[in-house]
Amino acid sequence: MSQHDRTHHAKIATGKGDPQCFKGTADGPPKFKVGDRVRIKHLPDIFYTRCQVYTRGAVGEVAVVTHESPAPEDESFGHVDHSEWFYIVRFKQRDLWPEYPEAFANDTLQTEFSERWLEAA
Amino acid sequence: MAHDHDHNAPAPMVEEVSDFEALEIAVRELAIEKGLFSAEDHRRFTEFAEHIGPTPAARMVAKAWLDPEYKKHCLTDAIAASKAVGVDWLNPTGFGTPSDYTDLRVLEDTPTMHHVVVCTLCSCYPRPILGFQPEWYRTPNYRRRLVRWPRQVLAEFGLSLPAEVEIRVEDSNQKCRFIVMPVRPAGTEGWTEDQLTEIVTRDCLIGVALPKPGVTSNIPLPVHRAAKPAHH
Amino acid sequence: MAALEKMHAPAEMAECAANWTPVPLLEDIKENGRVWGELADQYGVTNPDPPWKTSLDGMCEALAAGSCSSVAAAEKRWLAGEVDRGGLDAALPLLERRWEEDELSATLYQDVPFPERQLLSLVHSMIKRGLVNEDDLKKRISEVQTRLSAT
Repeated sequence: MSQHDRTHHAKIATGKGDPQCFKGTADGPPKFKVGDRVRIKHLPDIFYTRCQVYTRGAVGEVAVVTHESPAPEDESFGHVDHSEWFYIVRFKQRDLWPEYPEAFANDTLQTEFSERWLEAA
Repeated sequence: MAHDHDHNAPAPMVEEVSDFEALEIAVRELAIEKGLFSAEDHRRFTEFAEHIGPTPAARMVAKAWLDPEYKKHCLTDAIAASKAVGVDWLNPTGFGTPSDYTDLRVLEDTPTMHHVVVCTLCSCYPRPILGFQPEWYRTPNYRRRLVRWPRQVLAEFGLSLPAEVEIRVEDSNQKCRFIVMPVRPAGTEGWTEDQLTEIVTRDCLIGVALPKPGVTSNIPLPVHRAAKPAHH
Repeated sequence: MAALEKMHAPAEMAECAANWTPVPLLEDIKENGRVWGELADQYGVTNPDPPWKTSLDGMCEALAAGSCSSVAAAEKRWLAGEVDRGGLDAALPLLERRWEEDELSATLYQDVPFPERQLLSLVHSMIKRGLVNEDDLKKRISEVQTRLSAT
């Protein structure tokens, strides 16, 4: 399986790049748009995730709809036949960290999630 | 890197093979023999590592400061805009590298917003246009603390911003890669692209420093041992 | 919100990840190997990085290129009941390698400078996962040193 994976990836991605090679492969249009309020779900971690624990349960706003790609939870196992839309979600720091000073209420943090991690808030 | 062909002494070289050097060669040879990767892939990625550096990203910012159309291009399609500074993100494989991918985004600072980049998970970084991460960027000390105490961490780099300036931390945890486009500083009126490029240091492009006329090198931090992060 | 300690790694990952016990070969190199800082000072070389740094980076990248398929292959064998959980660990995805490097850099290799620390951590992870055999490595190091000092 190993050589096939790598040759296949080279075949679909050469000249386009990654994640560009996955353009058009998500099941439909993005579920969320810029400005939507979203909550980060508490999904069980199986082996592999790129969703930081410090964001779970937090509510933020979609800042950018970035691209389509297999989710890292699938991609690390070579399951690249299903893509999701990815989003940069922006949070107020005081919504992430209980002790974040009120004096810096404008400070924000943004990070990227695949669609499976988001629900409307 | 002196290559004098006259009677000057040749550049000094280390005359012995350290255990570390022998270890790197040995593990690489065994890995190739075992099929973990090919010699070809290793050669390709090593050459890539030898050729990347921070100048292209600095030049991208300098060009953007001088040309509003190019600036727009950087903000809408940074991968395409990278070509103007000699960086093709598809190198060296034709589809990018396994760590860097091919989705660069430029974060534009304003007088009331300052960006700073981190990867809490592992230290992802826009290497094709910015070169290798500094050691401090890789440490848990930076990665864990910047997201939660950004103003304290920036102060340690010598950067203090007033409360009215929003500090926006970008945690680059997926395939997107980020550089910061700082605000062009005062005192650079009439400067050439080369002059502007010189003051956009790697630290400015990460967001832990602001560009200043006369400052052309990164902040010399003492190299800290990677210690358990302090809990405030 | 979530505790700072749980920034990322789920508990299972830390448990089934590479063993933290010292590797004798690497302990020996750690104790006796000459780091670049020392060598550069002695010979008056100003390059901040050792000559093998870019090759190490090339190796990390080449491993990452191969790891997706090896994780998939390992998972297949695990699902088929051919290997136990330990067999699944034989693959070395990027995140696991970096987290092990973080942990090893804070413990076993905390007194080793960078990039020697990165090299030792990588080899440690590879040995613990059976990607490279410690005895084979010891023999090969000796051959390499002989080969490179031959005049």
